[in-house]
Amino acid sequence: MDAKFVNPFIDAFMTVMPQIGFQDITRKKVSMKDKSAQSLGVTVLVGFTKQIRGNVAYNMSEETAKYIASTMMMGMPVEEFNDMAQSAISELSNMLTANAATNLATLGFDVDISTPSLSVGHNFAVKISSEQYLVIDMDLSGHQIEINISLQ
Amino acid sequence: MEKIQVLVVDDSKVSRIMMASVLSRTMFQICDCAKTSMEAVEKYRSLNPDVVTMDMNLPDGDGIECSRKILEINPRAKIVMISAMKDASLMMRGRNVGINSFLQKPINANELIDTLLMICQSTENSIDVLRESYVKPFIKVLQKNLFSLAGLHSKVDLELDKNDFLDVNGIAVIIGLTGVPMGRAILHMDIQTMNRYSKIMLGMGEEEELSEEEASDSVEESANIIVGRSVSMINDICKDKEMRITPPGTICGQRIRIVNPKLTSFNITASTRLGDFKMNIGFAEGE
Repeated sequence: MDAKFVNPFIDAFMTVMPQIGFQDITRKKVSMKDKSAQSLGVTVLVGFTKQIRGNVAYNMSEETAKYIASTMMMGMPVEEFNDMAQSAISELSNMLTANAATNLATLGFDVDISTPSLSVGHNFAVKISSEQYLVIDMDLSGHQIEINISLQ
Repeated sequence: MEKIQVLVVDDSKVSRIMMASVLSRTMFQICDCAKTSMEAVEKYRSLNPDVVTMDMNLPDGDGIECSRKILEINPRAKIVMISAMKDASLMMRGRNVGINSFLQKPINANELIDTLLMICQSTENSIDVLRESYVKPFIKVLQKNLFSLAGLHSKVDLELDKNDFLDVNGIAVIIGLTGVPMGRAILHMDIQTMNRYSKIMLGMGEEEELSEEEASDSVEESANIIVGRSVSMINDICKDKEMRITPPGTICGQRIRIVNPKLTSFNITASTRLGDFKMNIGFAEGE
């Protein structure tokens, strides 16, 4: 997979997260995988199409999802991963992918994104490609988020 | 569900016949036709149609004046003006009166259907529009392909999804829909149904060993075919608003909840001898 398609997603994360209240963001390792990913508890899938087709899956634990939702809602305590918190995480995935799409457009690739599908569960596998796909590990103040990207 | 009722106001028989032919294979139904302005106002009052197509030139007055009278009866009346000329001053006069949209003769079928859909979508009819124009093609294609891919006959149920979530036990293939309207389609089923179906699709015997990957790939490929063909069918009717599909994403496991708080979605269940094939088609609200 061409590395030039990776940066738009990393840049989106680095741009969007500070806007919604996160300061401490670090990019950890970038790796390739070819088997289904195991969901960490909360996985949001956003598809894209037009000049590039693919999927991005944001994968995180329920704890991390609650932490992010709470920060997005100005520090409001989030005890349960309820409707409001789910909605916040969906919206975040939408913002991140839309921002990545804008970055791709500046490289000359026009992309439309789908609505996010947020899945919650304790033990499920997510497959976004039958080929190899890219995994970027991000650290958000000690919380891990895996960004899985597949391109066709 | 009841079709959306259209009152056609046009003094030309040819135009009325053309309109009837365009609308015959859609969710719209011509409830009546009026040849004059006076007849149009009377028929609007007695039939209370959902939408009116209005010719500019009528024997006893112009279409704008006729629209004004109809809007006096119902200020929320939906009117599409159709005229040979489409000049700016005419449109401005029409807008001032309260006409929703303007089309030029000769009518382009797709443009007419799109315009009527757009006008009706902005009302409480939007769920019906989604169901009839966007979800029904999925049902047709699902049934047809279950038969062509695995020889399955199915009985189909359709309902508006009242929940904000979808519970999945087994496999769910998620395919995004972009364009207008945007949303996503999910094909899901339990493991037993997936395994039985995949064996037939792959031409395997009952006793043969099927790997998990073969089974999920078969369902994924089927979902890709079904959603792709459904969207092609929708695009054939509404050419101006091209919908596209994203590649599939597949989730497998037990007790998974897929949450979509902001979607208007529909559940389709196709019952077959192998088990239930379920689809959830959701559209972003306000599109």
